[in-house]
Amino acid sequence: MSVGTLLSQYGDKYLLALLTTWRLTFFAFLIAFAVGVVITVVRICPIRPLRLFGDFYVQIFRNIPGAALLILLVYAFPYIGMLWSYYTCVLIACSLIPSAFCSEYLMAGMNTIQVGQIEAARSLGMTFFQLVKNLVLPQALRTSVLQLTNLLVGTMLTTALASQVPMSSTDLTGIVSYINTHAVGGITAFAISAVLYCATALVIGCVGSWIDKKVRILR
Amino acid sequence: MNSQKTSIRDVLYEPPGPRTQKIITAITAVSLVALAALMAAVIRLFYINGQLDAKYWTLFTRFTTWRFIGQGLMGTLRAAAGAGVITFALGMAMMLCRISRYRLARAVGTALVEFTRGVPTLLFIYFFFLIVPQLGFTLSAYWKITLPVAISASGVVAEVLRSGVNAVPRGQSEAALSLGMRERSVFFKIVFPQAFRYVIPSMISELVIVLKDTTFAYVVTYADLMQNAKALISNYDALLSVYLVVAVIYILINYILNRISTALSERGKQR
Repeated sequence: MSVGTLLSQYGDKYLLALLTTWRLTFFAFLIAFAVGVVITVVRICPIRPLRLFGDFYVQIFRNIPGAALLILLVYAFPYIGMLWSYYTCVLIACSLIPSAFCSEYLMAGMNTIQVGQIEAARSLGMTFFQLVKNLVLPQALRTSVLQLTNLLVGTMLTTALASQVPMSSTDLTGIVSYINTHAVGGITAFAISAVLYCATALVIGCVGSWIDKKVRILR
Repeated sequence: MNSQKTSIRDVLYEPPGPRTQKIITAITAVSLVALAALMAAVIRLFYINGQLDAKYWTLFTRFTTWRFIGQGLMGTLRAAAGAGVITFALGMAMMLCRISRYRLARAVGTALVEFTRGVPTLLFIYFFFLIVPQLGFTLSAYWKITLPVAISASGVVAEVLRSGVNAVPRGQSEAALSLGMRERSVFFKIVFPQAFRYVIPSMISELVIVLKDTTFAYVVTYADLMQNAKALISNYDALLSVYLVVAVIYILINYILNRISTALSERGKQR
């Protein structure tokens, strides 16, 4: 099937699929980032049980396969009275896994801060939260822009999980299996989705390196 | 001051004074209670929904259950090992393209790396599951899962290998060249062995990603841990407990692999 015939038949579905993938990626990344920052603060706070909890959280969601998490959310959680829509389940799965990686990247970014800066801030009498807010987080964020960019691409790749549940409007991966079970879409159906994914990843990558150039800390 | 193992986590605060000590102790106690309450709430949720009933958990006391899980795990490990080997070969080929002196090879290498890094594993799996058969090739379930997983990881492996090659000091290859070694043997005998040692930790982390991706094996009905879990579930009618145990098994394996990776990179840094 040629690109033209395929797009004339399924063009609107592709557009919807692309928008679904983008929307999922956007919201999942926002949640992942917010949770990642909170978990990072929890992991460096002076309260030992909370620190351990933060480490535990990260280890769980860093190591669980996406499919296993999604299956738990969709099929197992209703057994303990938590029945969510497919979209919610996918969004949760696609946020929790990147949030663990986000925290790991921020921790790595934090370790590039010179100890002297922290000591200086402390000798100025800053409290823990002042220190985290004014010194640790800004620098950790600025040094991990490229990694966070990769995380955004990674989040986009994770949203392919959406193809595993019957959502009302499927994503870019789901549409390939949709077309191929309704008609023979062949390699073209695959190629269109692949190109759209890659184009999105490339744009994200370019924007990411532009931001990185702007905010990188030269040491 | 021993700056050897000082991480940012340890320098954020002074040894607390008596007043702070008290505050910290208080908050620690509160947080302990809160975490315990959270645990209790989860257990209660299981209990009121009847998920703590013996019938859901006694199956794990049987030898046959664990043998079946073990068989599934072997399937997972076989797929991961196969995909690991293929992805290394592909990554190596792409890396050689990217550092080649020919512009065309470099362009092809870059395109392949960007392509494999930008497309989700599941899309590759659907390619091998739905589209390759249309083209007239019949693959066994094993290859339908290992090939896409390997391809989707290969771009990152290529980049990791390339970063390793770039980390080898230039003087090394210059010295070897001036001794009269051919370029090819300089690369394979001098540069690459060192580069490989640099990237072993990252390679193990990449193996974790490969292993995680093999969970999609149920799409192509390859008998891996996930697939065998499904069979257990229909046998014992115990969905939640089986999926939880399986998830924990995956987490433990990946955790151990990640620990090995960190330990190796720490050891590498000390040298």
